Amino acid sequence: MSEMSVSPVLQIENLQISLPAGADRPHALEGLSLTVNPGEVVCLVGESGSGKSLAAGAIMRLLPEPLVRKTGGTVIFEGRDLDELSEREMRALRGERMSMIFQEPMTALNPQKSVGWQIDEVLRLHTGLSGKERRARVIEMLGQVKIPDPASACNAYPHQVSGGQRQRVMIAMALILQPKLVIADEPTTALDVTTQLEILKLIRELQEREGTGILFITHDFGVVAEIADRVAVLREGLLVEEGPAREVLNAPRHPYTRALIAAVPSLRPPRPRDFSGAPVVLKAENIVKTYKARGSFFSGKRAGVRAVDDVSFDLRRSETLGIVGESGSGKTTVSRCVTRLLECDSGRASLDGRDILHLSAKALRAMRSEIQMVFQDPMASLNPRKRVVDLIAQGPIVHGADPAEARAKARELLALVELSPAAAERFPHEFSGGQRQRIGIARALAMEPKVIVADEPVSALDVSVQAQVLRLLADLRDRLDLSLLFVTHDLRVASQLCDRIVVMERGRVVEQGVTAEVFANPRHAYTRKLLSSIPGRDWTPPSFRDDAA
Amino acid sequence: MTLVDAADLPPEDSRLRVFWRRYRRNRAAVLGLILLGAVILMALVAGIYEPVDPLRRAGDPLARPFVDWATPLGTDQLGRDILAGILHGARISLMIGVVATSISITIGVAVGACAGYFGGWVDDVLMRVTEAFQTIPNFVLLLALVAILGSQIENIVLAIGIVSWTAPARLARAEFMSLRNREFVEAARNLGVGDASLIFREILPNALPPVVVYASVIMALAILLESALAFLGLGDPNYASWGNMIGQGRAVLRDSFYVALIPGLAIIFTVLSFSLLGEGLNEVLNPRQKKG
Repeated sequence: MSEMSVSPVLQIENLQISLPAGADRPHALEGLSLTVNPGEVVCLVGESGSGKSLAAGAIMRLLPEPLVRKTGGTVIFEGRDLDELSEREMRALRGERMSMIFQEPMTALNPQKSVGWQIDEVLRLHTGLSGKERRARVIEMLGQVKIPDPASACNAYPHQVSGGQRQRVMIAMALILQPKLVIADEPTTALDVTTQLEILKLIRELQEREGTGILFITHDFGVVAEIADRVAVLREGLLVEEGPAREVLNAPRHPYTRALIAAVPSLRPPRPRDFSGAPVVLKAENIVKTYKARGSFFSGKRAGVRAVDDVSFDLRRSETLGIVGESGSGKTTVSRCVTRLLECDSGRASLDGRDILHLSAKALRAMRSEIQMVFQDPMASLNPRKRVVDLIAQGPIVHGADPAEARAKARELLALVELSPAAAERFPHEFSGGQRQRIGIARALAMEPKVIVADEPVSALDVSVQAQVLRLLADLRDRLDLSLLFVTHDLRVASQLCDRIVVMERGRVVEQGVTAEVFANPRHAYTRKLLSSIPGRDWTPPSFRDDAA
Repeated sequence: MTLVDAADLPPEDSRLRVFWRRYRRNRAAVLGLILLGAVILMALVAGIYEPVDPLRRAGDPLARPFVDWATPLGTDQLGRDILAGILHGARISLMIGVVATSISITIGVAVGACAGYFGGWVDDVLMRVTEAFQTIPNFVLLLALVAILGSQIENIVLAIGIVSWTAPARLARAEFMSLRNREFVEAARNLGVGDASLIFREILPNALPPVVVYASVIMALAILLESALAFLGLGDPNYASWGNMIGQGRAVLRDSFYVALIPGLAIIFTVLSFSLLGEGLNEVLNPRQKKG
């Protein structure tokens, strides 16, 4: 927290950025005013398309001109108007006085150069240090971002270190010259929850030591609760609310902020429902799946990776079972094994008591109507060249339904997933992400399945849309008596929707039980670590009785 | 908020109109289309313009162009009308381009689709065969095939199709490999859709755009290959193809260069029209550049 007498590092006044003709609105940002003081973390929050990343581009003067350009306002950095600087002066500023951390460290790092070389480049461009001094400084910095064995990490290439380590390298690069301002554009969005917490802590720690001002761009209110001093909320290019983090998070004034915060799933699971009497619909026992590594001609066979190792679970009728874990935990592989999109190596799985892993080709196709999937990416999972009605009716038609009847039923299903019947004749690209996911759900429902396997169905969606889709799924589950196998990495989502959860780590189930009990009293160390890494876990989103969301 | 009204959706443009709007942006591509239109017009006019048979004697041998209006572009050493030859040659060239390209794309897509979709040993076998074809230079293989099959026009077209399917096969294979694991294919498989239906109904329409673009290149190559064959005297002598005309003009190149030059220009512009067309199609169909 800074005092009033300190002059701000960054002052944005009335910033306006225009979009090319034909975009959904004339200006990406309109009249944005914002200040960042030394030693302060200002979070710029907004949903996709709110213009938050373009704000960062405007500050760095790295907008994709001339299509998108600044048409008004001033950006003052350390008392200097950035518009008045030459391109050369601007280059000297970038990297040295202001720097940036990107979302995807794999693409932001050059795969052809070693990690040390890339950090060294910053020093080479901006300082007159000798090679030896630079190397010492690089190793020191890698130590500060807590990379184990900095000297050997220096010589590693980006693909040889993990995602979290790559983001540490990016942070080292951004902070090595002790800049006054760091712009972090969704720096933890691509990371697992446990890594995310470590990176957030690291950013906070280094920033406090150096007194850096940070403009932190994010869509995640959990992350905001974790790191922000002040919060600015953007909606379609307009600043709707700004204030100290505590106030905005706990007593938001603007209806949009309230709606956004209300859409953040609470971490308190609802009262558990009792399913002990319900019949088991889907039963998986000791499923094992190994991905064989394809050795090259000379190196011979390499050992495979056990993606799923001895996984068992039961799914009862109208119950929701969550499979949670970080990337690489094998949760998606499990979901593909029980839907037979992947063949597992050993184990048993049965649907209503019938074995589903050793079916004839014909019986397999018949079985598919009973267990349906909803996929993660609603754009990728809909064939872009088919009309919505054909997408939804395809399954029943393949299974021998009369095409005209199937299409009529598809139109009815659109109403069930709260889309207008007019949507039937459109192509997937004409819809927003949330609407596409509704189409995906309608397609699954058209088969009248007993079980729906949903693989991260809301992780590609904005938080407000996410809440709507989750509500729809829960509502349909209750109305149609469906059983839901819900794969997710998001413990907030799992806590609200799932009756029981299975926690997976590196292919193994480490814990399973009733959601409320697991959250209240996690037994396994890994579950405890996961739960304690949820961003903003100490913040309980306030509930608004009067809001419209 | 959740219920979508018809009014909320953007108005639907007809696909053809969107296509034309994007295509029109590239001036060179529009020029290509105009040139192609001219070639098609020439092919259509060929039946109306006298003499109907381009192989018949129409006047004195080696009459210069723009002298006698009975033979506006002059005559060759046998007194045949060059303009009639160009017009009829347009028919042959277009026919060869279209048929040979269809053959080559059909073989190529079938091989590439199977290799890319099934992978494993199917892929290994099909790709080794493709490589075997690729190691032999195109034209040498074409000469061999024509020597074996004989130089009737049908055989020439077939042979051109057979020597040029490898590139579309590799293209189709790459597309199928990247599309076969996409979620929409898995979604269809999850509905119980069979392999054949997955290949032809789900993946193929999405894999086709780059292949269509490449087809224009094959079209140009096919015309060039036929011309080259005819130039070497291996063309079908019963048809006035542009290549045949250049081949015959070669003998009188020193004093009557126009006999070879005029069909040469016709080939250049036709090939140019196809390659500009391909460039325009690429811009329209390439998803990375899809805007507006």
